[in-house]
Amino acid sequence: MTRPYLAFVDVHKAFAGKPVLRGMDLTVAKGEILYIIGTSGVGKSVTIKHLVGFLAVDRGEIWFDGQRLDQLDERAFYPIRRRIGMVFQNATLFDAMTLAENVALPLRKHQRMRQKDALIDARRRLAQVYLADYADRYPAELSDGMRKRAAIARTLTLAPEVVLFDEPTTGLDPVNARRIDRLIRELSRDLGVTAIVVSHDVPSIMAVADRVAFLYQGRVHTVGTPAELAATADPIVAQFIAGRSSGPMETPGF
Amino acid sequence: MLGERTLTQLGARALAVAREVGGIAILTGQVVRALVPPRLDGRELVRNLHRMGNRSLPIVALTAFFAGGLMVVQSAPFVNRLGATSLAGWAAGYAVLREIGPILIGLMFSGRVGANNTAELGTMTVTEQLDGLRALAIDPIRYLIVPRVLAMLIMLTALTILGDLIALAGAAVVAKLVIDIDWRTMYASFADNLTPTDFLHGVQKSVAFGAAIALSSCYFGVTVRGGAVGVGRAVNAAVVAAAVSIMLLDFFITYATA
Amino acid sequence: MTRPSLVERAARAVGRPALAAARATRDLWLVLVGVLAGVIRSYRPGGRRPPGALLEQLYVIGNRSLVFVAVTLGFIGMVMMYQACLQFSRAIGDLSQVGVQFLRLVVSDFGPTLTGMMLATRVGAGIAAEIGSMKVTEQLDALRMSGVLPIDYLLAPRFVASIVMTIALSLVGGAIMYGAGGLTAHLSFGVNPRTFFDPSLVLPRHLVLGLLKAACYGAAIPVVAGFCGLRARGSSEGVGWATTAAVVGSSFAVIAIDFALSVGALWLYGGEL
Repeated sequence: MTRPYLAFVDVHKAFAGKPVLRGMDLTVAKGEILYIIGTSGVGKSVTIKHLVGFLAVDRGEIWFDGQRLDQLDERAFYPIRRRIGMVFQNATLFDAMTLAENVALPLRKHQRMRQKDALIDARRRLAQVYLADYADRYPAELSDGMRKRAAIARTLTLAPEVVLFDEPTTGLDPVNARRIDRLIRELSRDLGVTAIVVSHDVPSIMAVADRVAFLYQGRVHTVGTPAELAATADPIVAQFIAGRSSGPMETPGF
Repeated sequence: MLGERTLTQLGARALAVAREVGGIAILTGQVVRALVPPRLDGRELVRNLHRMGNRSLPIVALTAFFAGGLMVVQSAPFVNRLGATSLAGWAAGYAVLREIGPILIGLMFSGRVGANNTAELGTMTVTEQLDGLRALAIDPIRYLIVPRVLAMLIMLTALTILGDLIALAGAAVVAKLVIDIDWRTMYASFADNLTPTDFLHGVQKSVAFGAAIALSSCYFGVTVRGGAVGVGRAVNAAVVAAAVSIMLLDFFITYATA
Repeated sequence: MTRPSLVERAARAVGRPALAAARATRDLWLVLVGVLAGVIRSYRPGGRRPPGALLEQLYVIGNRSLVFVAVTLGFIGMVMMYQACLQFSRAIGDLSQVGVQFLRLVVSDFGPTLTGMMLATRVGAGIAAEIGSMKVTEQLDALRMSGVLPIDYLLAPRFVASIVMTIALSLVGGAIMYGAGGLTAHLSFGVNPRTFFDPSLVLPRHLVLGLLKAACYGAAIPVVAGFCGLRARGSSEGVGWATTAAVVGSSFAVIAIDFALSVGALWLYGGEL
């Protein structure tokens, strides 16, 4: 049996005694766009942080392209991080640098370009995400949508095989949200990137995902295509998709 | 019981200090490892040298000038009593070169550059920019920390050397204005009584102080917890830790090189 | 318009920072005056004082800094004595005067000044950070709206406490410094304790000078630190800058006051001190 491209096998993770992931199993196929969805605090971001080594599992295995990730230490993760990129929820750009300098930094470090050449390449990449006019501005001067796009451009400089998006459309107005959706689709289609998107933006999910994994009570409750999820008979999933405040779903803290 | 509570507090305090010292030691190890062989970001090094020098030069120069003058004022009565005006330079000079120069300049540098550095790194940590670097497979130690540590070390040493000279000049100026000893006498006094060993003793200290200030300021910066308030606390802790390290190192170096 | 001439540019380069410095000095002076007025207002009959604030500040500034001051002054005392004995042996060959001279210096200068420097770091940073974060979180405005002047409420107790505690800590620190010095002289250079612990050269005016310096440092630190805190802008980053400026500013104020008072004393007593 061939190993799946990316797999979580019975992963457990607890914080300060409180269990968050309780036996999570998930596989991701190469080149697909997988959405991980669920209510706030259910463990979506926690899941993807394991893939870049920001968190370590308490129990379980994580496989990527035939290699186990859960046993690696910080230094061993550096080559992995060149293959799995992450776009943070806050589009964490370096606020002391302009957009162009932000994008140029990984180019300089990993492709050993000189600063001048790196800046030229950075501007080209920013143009691809429609930010050419803002290349010399500082992140603080720009809107959330623009910062997100710049962060995506920066992550792509590594030419990663997999890109993780942590709530890419949360907090954006509908127009900008749809722009980000389009970007993710183009990435997958044109560059063959495998995208794992953490989200609770239902229109985004329906429009972009190839498959959707619904996280509930620390496990993957259901996996399916958006169409399957929309037509589901499962009351808990249905409540989430329809966005109802009351129903069978248990939301701790309310 | 009162004694019991004090002991508990003291114990907790001691543990906290031990944890900080341990953390700084670990950071030092990481920095040293990145230096052998030297793989660091040259651009960042130059940029930091520039910034830190610009930022601290005026205050160091002013402090040094006054410190030199102060030493002359303090030694004046003694020199007058012995009538040994030729020794005025010696008294002010050795104090400045061996002790006052490195310590005062170190404290000022810590307050100006060290604290700023902690605030910057702390804000970067709180806003996840440090994680952002790691996610881009860029080692924060090599890119961010090592250039700053080296820059602070080099800068403080350079500033101390410059500051020593300014302090001696200040001593000469004050000697002329306040106790009416002219430049030639002071210069002769310096030249006759101060040795290169005195000078090097001070420079050696400034290298050690620079390392201590740099490492503690970076440590408190990257271990910030608790958002904005945590940054303020980290700055405070860094400045106090630097002051204590300067005093302790001064003590050990003085005795070790005796 | 033609490019400004060299003279104009030079004038601007000097003028702008000079104006900024002048403005800052004036603002600093205003803070000092404000604090003094606040203190007088609180202590005259019928004046309001926030209950327990003075006591709290005495504790925060004094007790919490005691160990720090004691340890640092102890170490410095040992180092200074070591260096002094080394140099005395080299230049004069006779160590009998070290004790007396050192005591005069500790009482009239090193005790208060080094204590002041240490407190500038510890207390200055604390006051600036407190007031700075109150400013950026608009708590100062809230105080003003409930009819309380921040200067009276916040700085006045710190001002009084700082003066009292700086004097107290200088005395303790000075004693420790002198004691540590004596120990060093005895253990490393064989100086007889009886020869060392000789107060014969210390005159009342030395003590007065030392206490005056301590009082001035105690007054300067909260004023400078409060000034920096009140100027904090923006967010927590602004508080960080305010704290830095406070530490550097108060440390420098200590040195400048030391210099001024020492020169003044020298001048007053015609070089004899």
